[in-house]
Amino acid sequence: MSVKLPDAVQRFATDPDEPLRQGAYRSALRDERLAAILGAALGILFSICFLTGLYSHVQQNPLSWLPIPARPAGLYRLTQGLHVVSGIASVPVLIAKLWLVWPRFVAFPVAKRASHLVERIGLFPLVAGGIFMTFSGVANIAQWYPWKFAFTASHYWMAWVTMGSIVAHGGAKWAIARRSLARPSRRPALAEADPVLETTAEEAGSGLSRRGLLTTVAAASGVLTLTTIGQTIRPLRRLGLLAPRDPATGPQGRPVNRGAANAGVVDLANSPAYRLEISGRVARPVSLTLDQLRAMPAHDTVLPIACVEGWSFSAPWSGVRVRDLLAMAGAEPDRTILLESLEPQGVYRTSTLNAGQAADRDTLLATHLDGEPLALDHGFPCRLIAPNRPGVLQTKWVTKVVVL
Amino acid sequence: MSPTTLEPGRDDEHRAGPLFWISAAVGWAVIAWGLRGIFEHSLDTRPANLARFVVGGALLHDLIIAPLIIGAGVLLARAVPGRARAVVQGALAVSGIVALFSYPLVRGFGLAANNPTSLPHNYAAGLLVVLGGVWAVAAAIAVVRLRTA
Repeated sequence: MSVKLPDAVQRFATDPDEPLRQGAYRSALRDERLAAILGAALGILFSICFLTGLYSHVQQNPLSWLPIPARPAGLYRLTQGLHVVSGIASVPVLIAKLWLVWPRFVAFPVAKRASHLVERIGLFPLVAGGIFMTFSGVANIAQWYPWKFAFTASHYWMAWVTMGSIVAHGGAKWAIARRSLARPSRRPALAEADPVLETTAEEAGSGLSRRGLLTTVAAASGVLTLTTIGQTIRPLRRLGLLAPRDPATGPQGRPVNRGAANAGVVDLANSPAYRLEISGRVARPVSLTLDQLRAMPAHDTVLPIACVEGWSFSAPWSGVRVRDLLAMAGAEPDRTILLESLEPQGVYRTSTLNAGQAADRDTLLATHLDGEPLALDHGFPCRLIAPNRPGVLQTKWVTKVVVL
Repeated sequence: MSPTTLEPGRDDEHRAGPLFWISAAVGWAVIAWGLRGIFEHSLDTRPANLARFVVGGALLHDLIIAPLIIGAGVLLARAVPGRARAVVQGALAVSGIVALFSYPLVRGFGLAANNPTSLPHNYAAGLLVVLGGVWAVAAAIAVVRLRTA
C-alpha cells in the first residue's frame, strides 16, 4: 500500500510539471460512458461472431441429434459473411476500448474485496481472449499462420474462454454501464480547463472529443468493412482493396481456396482411369467413367461457394443429383453419405451429407460451372455443390460416394 | 476529476450483488469449458504454443502497443496545435488501425504458389490509396472547421 500507482499515474498524467501531462484529453475521454458504449458494441459484435462461429463449427463437426438442414440455401453464406464482417469491424472497437481502460490494468492495490479480485482475474481471459480472437481471425483470413496450433480448433475453444469472460464482465459492469448510459454525457466544467491550452478538453480545437473518438472508431470500422466486404458482396468488389479474395479473380473467373496442384490431384484427375464409385450400403455398387457420368440427366442450379474465411460467390452449376446416383445404386434410404476426394491427404479430403442434404434436389456432383466443364482447380472431373454449406465441405475431385 | 471519469479502483465503492456472482459463476464455467476443450484437443490446439500467442498478445498490447499509442498521443498534443488536432488524432488512429489490419496482406505471408486467386491485389498500393482517402477526408474536415471557426 506504500506505492499507490494510480496516484502516481494520475499525477504523472495531469501535473503541468510532469512530462506526460496529457490531462486535457485524458480526463475527457477516459470516461465511463464511452467505456460502456464501446463495451456494448464489442459485446454485440463478439456475440454475433460467437453464434455464427458455433453454427460454422456444427457445420464442420456434425451432431447426429442436430442435423444441419439443406435450406435456406444461402444461410451459411450469410452467417459466415456476418462472422468475418463483425470480426473485422470489432478490431477498431477493441483497440479503442483497450486504450480507454488501459490505466486500470496497472491499478493498485490489486483488489480491495473478493468480488473485485474475481473481476480483475477475469480481465485476463477477457483481454487476452479478445486480442487473440481478433488477431487469429484477421491472420487466418489473410492465410497467415505464424503459429503451430491448428487454427480452427484453437479459435473455437478460445471463443468459449472469451465468451465466458464477456458474460462475467457484463454482469460485473451491468449496473455501472446502465447508469452511465442513462445519464446524458457531461462536459468538463471550466474549473477543469487545461491550464496551458486554456480551454476545456471538449472545446473544438483541443483534441478529440468523446463524440470525436466514437466517430473515429466508427470511421475505422467503416473503412475496414468497405475495403473488405467486396469479397462476399460482389457489387462492392471494386472497393475491396484490402480484401484477401476477389470474387471475380481465378480460374473461370472464380476464386478457389486451394488449387489442384497444391492438393496433389492433377495427374489423378486427368487420368483416364478416373472412376466415380458408389459403394457402401447399396444394392448394386456402381462405377462410372466421366463420360458415363456426363451422360446422366443433368440438373442446373445457382448456389454459392461460401468460404469459412468470409469470401463467397454465387454461380450457375450443373451436374448429376446425388439422390439420382444413390437411387441408381439402390442405396438404403436415410443414410449418411461420405464423399471422398482424389486428394491423397488433408483434413478436408472427405465430407459427409446427412440424409436431408443428400436428398435435396440441388445437391449435385457438378461437372460444369457457368456452362463450361469444371476447371481443374474447381474440382474437375466432378465436385460436390450443395445448399447451405461451408466451401471447405463442398468437396472437390470427388471419386467415391459411400453410403454409411 | 469529473464524476464520470474512470478512476482506477472506483468499482470498490460498489458491493457486488447477485448479478455479479451469478454471471461470474456462469462466465467462469464457460471459461472452464473452453480450457477443458483446449487441453482435451491438445494435438490440435498445442496448448504450450497457443499460450505463447494468447499471453504474448496481451503482453504485447499492454506493455508495448498501449504505451506507444499513449506516447504518440502526447507527442501529437504538443506538435499539432489548436483546431486541427482532433482531426489529426482521428486520421492517425484510423490510419494506424488500417495499417495494422493490412500488415499480413501487405507482407503477403499467405501468398500460395500455384494459386492466382490467393491475395490477388497489390495490397501495398491498396493501403496507400486507403490512407490517401483517409487523409483527404481529414484535410477536408480540417479546412471546413478552420473556415467556420
